[in-house]
Amino acid sequence: MPADKNPRQDAEAVTWNFKLLAQHELGGFGGMGEGMSIQIAPDGRRVLWLAHESAPKNFTAVDVSDPRAPKVVVQTDLPQSFMRSNSLETVGNIMAVAYQTQQPGQQPAGFELFDISNPETPKSIAFVDASGPHSRGVHQLWFCDGEYVHLSGGAADFTPRNQLDDQCYRIFDVRNPSKPTEVGRWWLPGTRDGDAAPPPARQQPPHDKGFRAHNTNVYPQRPDRCYLGYIDGGMFVLDIADKARPKVISGWKNSPPYTGFCHTVLPLFDRNLLIVTDESTMDDGGDWPKLVWIVDAREEKNLVPIATCPAPSYDAFAHRGGRFGAHNIHENVPLPTCWHSDEIVLGTFFNAGLRAYDISNPYQPKEVAAFVPPAPALAPNGTIQLNDCFVDERRVVYTVDRHAGGLYILEMDF
Amino acid sequence: MNDTLHLFPSRAAGPFGRRVKHARGGRIPVTIVTGFLGAGKTTLLRQFLASPQGRGTAVIVNEFGAIGIDDALVRDAAEATVLLGNGCACCVTRSDLQVALRRLVAERDRGLLPPFGRIVIETSGLADPGPILQTFATDRALGAAFHAEVAVAVVDAVTGLATLDWSPEARKQIILADRLVITKTDLSDAAATARLTERLAALNPRAAIDIAVNGALDPQRLIAAADDGALPRTGFAAEAAHADGIVSFVLTDTAPVAWTPFARMMETLTALRGRDLLRVKGLLDVAGCRGPVLVQFVQHLAHPPVELAAWPDGDRTSRLVFITRGVSETSVRALFDAVRAVAEW
Repeated sequence: MPADKNPRQDAEAVTWNFKLLAQHELGGFGGMGEGMSIQIAPDGRRVLWLAHESAPKNFTAVDVSDPRAPKVVVQTDLPQSFMRSNSLETVGNIMAVAYQTQQPGQQPAGFELFDISNPETPKSIAFVDASGPHSRGVHQLWFCDGEYVHLSGGAADFTPRNQLDDQCYRIFDVRNPSKPTEVGRWWLPGTRDGDAAPPPARQQPPHDKGFRAHNTNVYPQRPDRCYLGYIDGGMFVLDIADKARPKVISGWKNSPPYTGFCHTVLPLFDRNLLIVTDESTMDDGGDWPKLVWIVDAREEKNLVPIATCPAPSYDAFAHRGGRFGAHNIHENVPLPTCWHSDEIVLGTFFNAGLRAYDISNPYQPKEVAAFVPPAPALAPNGTIQLNDCFVDERRVVYTVDRHAGGLYILEMDF
Repeated sequence: MNDTLHLFPSRAAGPFGRRVKHARGGRIPVTIVTGFLGAGKTTLLRQFLASPQGRGTAVIVNEFGAIGIDDALVRDAAEATVLLGNGCACCVTRSDLQVALRRLVAERDRGLLPPFGRIVIETSGLADPGPILQTFATDRALGAAFHAEVAVAVVDAVTGLATLDWSPEARKQIILADRLVITKTDLSDAAATARLTERLAALNPRAAIDIAVNGALDPQRLIAAADDGALPRTGFAAEAAHADGIVSFVLTDTAPVAWTPFARMMETLTALRGRDLLRVKGLLDVAGCRGPVLVQFVQHLAHPPVELAAWPDGDRTSRLVFITRGVSETSVRALFDAVRAVAEW
């Protein structure tokens, strides 16, 4: 044991079983959200579309045809400083971008569809207004089949009992992209004004973040299912065969005693497993532990958590600065430009970087790779805060910093 | 076989789990460096640790079996981890290698040590590499976290030949090594070095022999993974008999190998002659697997088999190297043929 038993102040970068190919600071606007999607443009370029975490930028497109030499193709601005896009998806040459506002009632809020067949000049096809007196617009959206946008968002006609519960699950038919139409929605019973069900028991402050939707993932293997992260409500599997009337099949909640904020549910259909993440939203490990969970879903109506991916060390990271804990994972987006794996889970852990786990034995996930880059210049917390990751079908890994570092491009070496 | 794959099958997985790019998979690679006192191990290591390839290496100086009674009194106090430059760390262990390995990883994960990605174990001069290799052989112990990637034996050109003459331990180090490094050629002459090289090649026909000139060796050659049972350099695969009753040979097969008869054969062999199987290692073209399956046995212990993503050289010939004490190639072939015949009834 070294004489100095305190965590190393000169925290070292780690690159283990990854190879860094390139980093791009995106013109100094390197604060990235959780929208990452790859388009193969009509001219053959491979374009990575990235949503920014907050204003002033909306989205940035990066030509990653050569992953060692990424080039910015276009970067756009938000019309208002109180807006954030944070989430986007592309299907073919159509992109859907979310718009959320800082306060309820602000506008514009909702989502927008773009024609990106010429990546340099995205053209707006339609804007869907999701503003309202109690709405902050759309936080997250999922769009992979070219037909429906599944999103977490408020609405003009949705009044939550508690303002924190302002974003429900909404489904929009965009088969005519110039005229998107809402076809269904679901919220946790008890959270809407007028519900017969009683309001849910809330998490204790400071961990009361809301009973609202986050990720709304739908896959072609089960187009009748939505895998829903519902923040303090835990996760749900919904039957959406009748999109107008989504029904709960099952759910699982780890909080309390955990600190809520269920974020993403990734189904691994062949293996009957679900990978469930919670998001860390407090600095300094204040809501530790935020974990990546492995759930046995062989019985869809009886979900059994069986393991967690071994978390990076609290001692090493909790007080390094900024957030520390789970957030996003690579989601096996059902598009040909996305890598699909049911053996490896890649996730971002803020200041603990990007981690890869081998879940061949789902009862004993093993960490097989880690990437913790140095703190970017101008990092407000003095650390990296890796926020999201995406792997393309070439097995090239893209990961983004939440504040300043921009885009990191890696190769897996395991 | 991975039992949990029956409960949660993955189409991407092979029978032995995820196909991995490198044999180590996600495990920490371990390089074992043996060599007699004065052979130049420490000089080589020091150079390596200062090189770019050496960045992020943790060194364990393992003096297991080399302590005196009075040393035992200072054992615990001496087992401290020292931070070196270049992201490296070093500790000395006289007692338990497993404890030292586990402690290094725990301290690294807690941020108390640099984030090393490799371990080098430097052994004492008289060390038998067998028990060290065994340490990594079981899944439950350390085999799940560490991969004994390569064993390197260091021999000095001045005294090496004489040492090999009088010391069975030195011969064993050479026979079990994946790679051999000759040092101090500048202090000897070309003829002596040639005689030493010839002797080393006779003891271990499979191992590459590198020469460290003035103590300098390409750092990559210290740590590069072993050829994993590549066919002998000369193509000469006949059984080699060494002193001390040690016998080495390579079994090859161009046809795919059925796993069950192979596993049963090895179970029988290890049950009956485990203590004489000093090292068995190789790549098998297992029927039903896309990539080669790396198998390793140390005495009666089997490493968990691992399927690689691709054959290293495109040649799908199964190749299994045996280093045994008195277990002959003929008898192993006969056993394998007999078990296979039974399986195919």
